[in-house]
Amino acid sequence: MTDPQAEKSPLKVWLVEWFALGNLAFLALDIYMAHSINQFTHWAEWTPVVFSLGVPIVLLPGVLARRHRTGTARFAGMSVGIASVLLGIVGMVLHLESTFFSEQTLKALIYAAPFAGPLSYTGVGLLLILNRLEPDDSPHWGTWIIFLALCGFVGNLSLSLCDHAQNGFFHPTEWISVAASAFAVSFLLIAVIRPQEIWFLKWCVAMMLLQVIVGLLGFALHLIADFTGPAANLTTNLIYGAPIFAPLLFPNLAILAAIGIWELQSSRMIETAVV
Amino acid sequence: MQRVKFAHVFIAVFLGTAIVGAALLVNAKRPDVDTRQPSANHVKATGKCAECHRRETSAVVHQYETSRHAAKGINCLDCHKALDGQNKLEHKGFVIATHLTSKNCAKCHKTEYDQFARSRHAAPAWAAVAGSKDFTAEQIAHAEKYHKGAVLRKANALSLLEGPAAIRSGCASCHDVGRPNSDGSIGSCTDCHSRHSSSIALARQPETCGQCHMGPDHSQLEIYSESKHGVLYNAQKSQFNMHVDSQKLSTADMSVPTCSTCHMSGLEGNKMTHDTTERLSWFLFAAKSDKRPIFDRAQVEMKETCLKCHTKAPIDKFYDEAEAVVAATNIKVNEAAQIIQKLRDENLLTPKPFDEPIEFLYFDYWHYYGRTAKHGAFMGGADFVQWHGNYELLKMLTDMKHMAAELRAAKHRSNVKGQSDAEGQSND
Repeated sequence: MTDPQAEKSPLKVWLVEWFALGNLAFLALDIYMAHSINQFTHWAEWTPVVFSLGVPIVLLPGVLARRHRTGTARFAGMSVGIASVLLGIVGMVLHLESTFFSEQTLKALIYAAPFAGPLSYTGVGLLLILNRLEPDDSPHWGTWIIFLALCGFVGNLSLSLCDHAQNGFFHPTEWISVAASAFAVSFLLIAVIRPQEIWFLKWCVAMMLLQVIVGLLGFALHLIADFTGPAANLTTNLIYGAPIFAPLLFPNLAILAAIGIWELQSSRMIETAVV
Repeated sequence: MQRVKFAHVFIAVFLGTAIVGAALLVNAKRPDVDTRQPSANHVKATGKCAECHRRETSAVVHQYETSRHAAKGINCLDCHKALDGQNKLEHKGFVIATHLTSKNCAKCHKTEYDQFARSRHAAPAWAAVAGSKDFTAEQIAHAEKYHKGAVLRKANALSLLEGPAAIRSGCASCHDVGRPNSDGSIGSCTDCHSRHSSSIALARQPETCGQCHMGPDHSQLEIYSESKHGVLYNAQKSQFNMHVDSQKLSTADMSVPTCSTCHMSGLEGNKMTHDTTERLSWFLFAAKSDKRPIFDRAQVEMKETCLKCHTKAPIDKFYDEAEAVVAATNIKVNEAAQIIQKLRDENLLTPKPFDEPIEFLYFDYWHYYGRTAKHGAFMGGADFVQWHGNYELLKMLTDMKHMAAELRAAKHRSNVKGQSDAEGQSND
């Protein structure tokens, strides 16, 4: 149960709670499609699907009440956060095991199950833990959010590199996502190191807008690829062809980074006003 | 008013560019065979297929990895891609053929397929079991051009009596080397070259031919093992380079011949062929052996291979002696055939095949021992010419004469009994 006396979460923190909940829920569909490639050969492949279907129910009351720091909502969020972190790490190890553990080559890494994929759980889990451990008025909350978005973009960079390397970057457009995530990483890295530079944060916002455009473009290109895929039906192409939801990770992470930038900018403006 | 610092933008742009540059450099280091493919699906197949099959059917991946195909950069999709007329299977993002045929191999090995298609390994092999019913008119015409009467024929009478289970697990296992496929091609190259190893060395091993060319009806493997060629091969095979390209094969690679050396190989500049009948001068498999239409050319071509190890005089002597065995066997088989024919003329045998013991005796006579004597003579298997051939021919001819006499005696006894019974009835 949530504590009705507790103070409501600030808007940005609350948005991050919604972000975490939405991402965990959406991962059920994404992973269902990803593991369908393997036809759920191993029972463990159902674990993230069941987890993603179950945990939003656990988190929802706290999020709806906009009170997540106290009582059951805090406990539930911390538990889900820690479980997500562990699930992501175990998932990464299991993904690598498919080929890479027996043969440590670039080729094995490219064609193995996407090792960075499960780390999305770790990232979302850390967001839940961050929201419960870092005080609402913490000057570091925004920086941490940007840092986690940065980690997301590092994962995104490796995913788009490996995924498109499977095609040998057959279409030059496949480099767009690699370049976009590389610049997202470099800009957010500077933002994390120099969070006080408000003007640079504005450049970061522009960079995040670019990520949104790249993500939507990628979604469209993947959809076209699946419509024209080798299989006779779209469902098969969606499962085995270009991963339709993967490009949406760009706008998804851009939104998270934007929340962090927003927080840094508003706290910096308050500081400037006080001074 | 605070402005953005150039240093921050510069570092961010530099870092981003460095990451992209590093990715480009790493990608450029990938082997060409992984990336320079005709389609994105082909690129994917270079690694994705093995990613699953290493867990599910690991042996095929390892076989492929040691193959010449892998060394040349041929990937799974190159062979498994469904062609016109083949049943398609959607398989984890790839569209592949449910069953590979010689048509898939012929995409790159057309000359070899065309040679094979006019050989007796092609349509005549399947027609020997199933007759002509499975072939198109075009396929029949093509095969009949080279092997008259070998495809336009009825199904094998013996296999029909033995039933479909025997045909499926027995006859077809070997004779499907010439089975017509749904895509219009004939046969399968993997019978000799295996599937994922796609091995030249395997096709050069006598045991590969011996999978079918063995046993009492065509005991070539046994004869070869007894012959000087076979003994030397078994003693020295570890020193041979069996993998060498067929256009470059020399006696330095294989100083002792196997089946393929004599019948197919382009040894030291000789013309290589996948028409295994091209160097055969006699119809040794037939009850009565005649010269093949290509007798002269075939014998010249076979002797060209013999000349790599032997001088002309012993080769000619060898041929003369072998042809003498053929001529002698023809006389013996003819005598046995006349015994059967006379019994038929006298109505002592039914017109139905394989329903009387003497018919089996005659079939064994030419099909087992006649063939064995002739093959033994042409392959240097003395024991097969004598004890597994001519001795059996002599013994069985004697048996057949006795059986024929018994049949006549039995008929005579039956006629006498019939007459006396008729006289007895008229007296009553």
